[in-house]
Amino acid sequence: MSLTVQVAGKSDLGCVRTNNEDNFGYDTRFGIFVVCDGMGGQAAGEVASKIGVDTILEYFRKAGAAAKYPIEGEPLEGVSERANALASAIRLANKTIFDAASKNAGHAGMGSTVVAALVKGNFLAIAHVGDSRIYLIRKDSIQQLTNDHSLVMEQVRRGLITPEEAEKSNMQNIIIRALGSEETVEADVDDMVGQPGDILLLACDGLTKYVKDKMLLEIVKNAPTLQVACERLIQAAKDAGGDDNITCILVRVVEEPWYRRWFGKGSPQWQNSI
Amino acid sequence: MAKLYLKFEQAVLKEVTVTQGGMVTIGRLPDNMIQVDNLAVSGHHTKIYWEDDHYVVEDNNSLNGTFVNNQRVSKVTLKDGDNVLVGKHTITFKDEWHEDQPEQRVPTQVMPAVPQMEATVVLDTKKAKELMAQARALKEGGAFPSAAPAGAGPTASGTMPAVRPAPPPPPPPPPKERTGMLTVLEGKTDQPHYLLSGKLTVIGKSAMATIKLKGSLFRQPPDVAAIVSKREGKYFVASQDKKANLKVNGAELGHQQELQEGDTIEVFGVKMSFEYHD
Repeated sequence: MSLTVQVAGKSDLGCVRTNNEDNFGYDTRFGIFVVCDGMGGQAAGEVASKIGVDTILEYFRKAGAAAKYPIEGEPLEGVSERANALASAIRLANKTIFDAASKNAGHAGMGSTVVAALVKGNFLAIAHVGDSRIYLIRKDSIQQLTNDHSLVMEQVRRGLITPEEAEKSNMQNIIIRALGSEETVEADVDDMVGQPGDILLLACDGLTKYVKDKMLLEIVKNAPTLQVACERLIQAAKDAGGDDNITCILVRVVEEPWYRRWFGKGSPQWQNSI
Repeated sequence: MAKLYLKFEQAVLKEVTVTQGGMVTIGRLPDNMIQVDNLAVSGHHTKIYWEDDHYVVEDNNSLNGTFVNNQRVSKVTLKDGDNVLVGKHTITFKDEWHEDQPEQRVPTQVMPAVPQMEATVVLDTKKAKELMAQARALKEGGAFPSAAPAGAGPTASGTMPAVRPAPPPPPPPPPKERTGMLTVLEGKTDQPHYLLSGKLTVIGKSAMATIKLKGSLFRQPPDVAAIVSKREGKYFVASQDKKANLKVNGAELGHQQELQEGDTIEVFGVKMSFEYHD
């Protein structure tokens, strides 16, 4: 028996928007999963989120071929090599978006959030910038692993406002860290150990604004497959109003006998940005 | 004060007051103050609010737009009698500013702040710091309206019992964190000492484990046998696999346990002692 992953991902325009500024991608061969939520007018948000996903996938594909994670920027202390690789890939994505924005007047001010997970057997590393989130679903519990880099959440953390005030605030749409808005960015990274059956949910705020933790858990637990779970999550957000683009990836760590890995592969091994 | 009359085909459906300094949001979703449940209307379509000394209507990049007297607008000043068209509904604006006594500006119908959920915007670091400082000032001012100037707060505590000190500034930096260390007493591992500088230390056979267990030809340790995690300067050990047979001070461990100086832990036949290292 060895550990492997099952994955499904989906993105949707939502009820109001006519363009999709979200993007996502993954490559199970390298264990990398990414969701980006772009911002900026005149289609720039779409460009930013696509660059984000592409750069991060590309980093891990190259690193896989070279069997070494190239370091970008200052390595972080106290975290694993894998968490540092995520931080490096995100710094690279930030730089790429920032450069693209400064070269093209139409793309000035574009940016993107990012959530990414690197899964190697039991070893999970996660990273995020902005207000997209990662949740861990383990047995019958759900836990948010990331802290939004949003103004209201920062105010809650510092005790300036209550979580209830945050829910009503008219500043919910303001995030304080993003890819591409400044020359450098620091992602929050963390290491974890997974267990067989664990599910990671990577999602943009278009989902988490409308579907609360308990509901997320219920939908994922009751769906027959991860793909159906993704579809139901998106539908739940749309039923609740869903005025933003909605994107999610579900990754399940599973124990699989060797012959299942060789024969009868169900889901595709990778999905490039859309 | 001004009044907004929501109309559909001449019929007045709703009347809402917008005060000086106030704001009324209009859209399809229920969190708007004027909800117009029609597919032609965006979730958060437009808003009417007081700016400086006049009322304005501002379109929130809605799909079908906001029209004032049949002209599509993004943001304009409103005059008495203006008709704002949102989808198929009309909002008639009646300015009652001149009838207002200045003293009567009591916010009888002040609308609560409501999420606008417009497109996400990002603040640069400098701007974010400014806004945080603003929120802090607001909180301190709001909680203690008659208190001494904000600067007096923290220093005054203790010496001026009559005045409640301002709420403490953000938590002080935590005391210098000590780093834990595991020393191998018995068994096969790849190093004699392990400094637990990371947030997560994995004990197991896996190549990615920090503390690598070797095992024997016949008895292979699990990839991940146990983990030691560091939270707020404390260390916790938890089993990840039944085969690991994790024991702390000789007793089997069900869930997780905080490590104390001098504890011994045993994982898959490897015995280690825990202490803090300065």
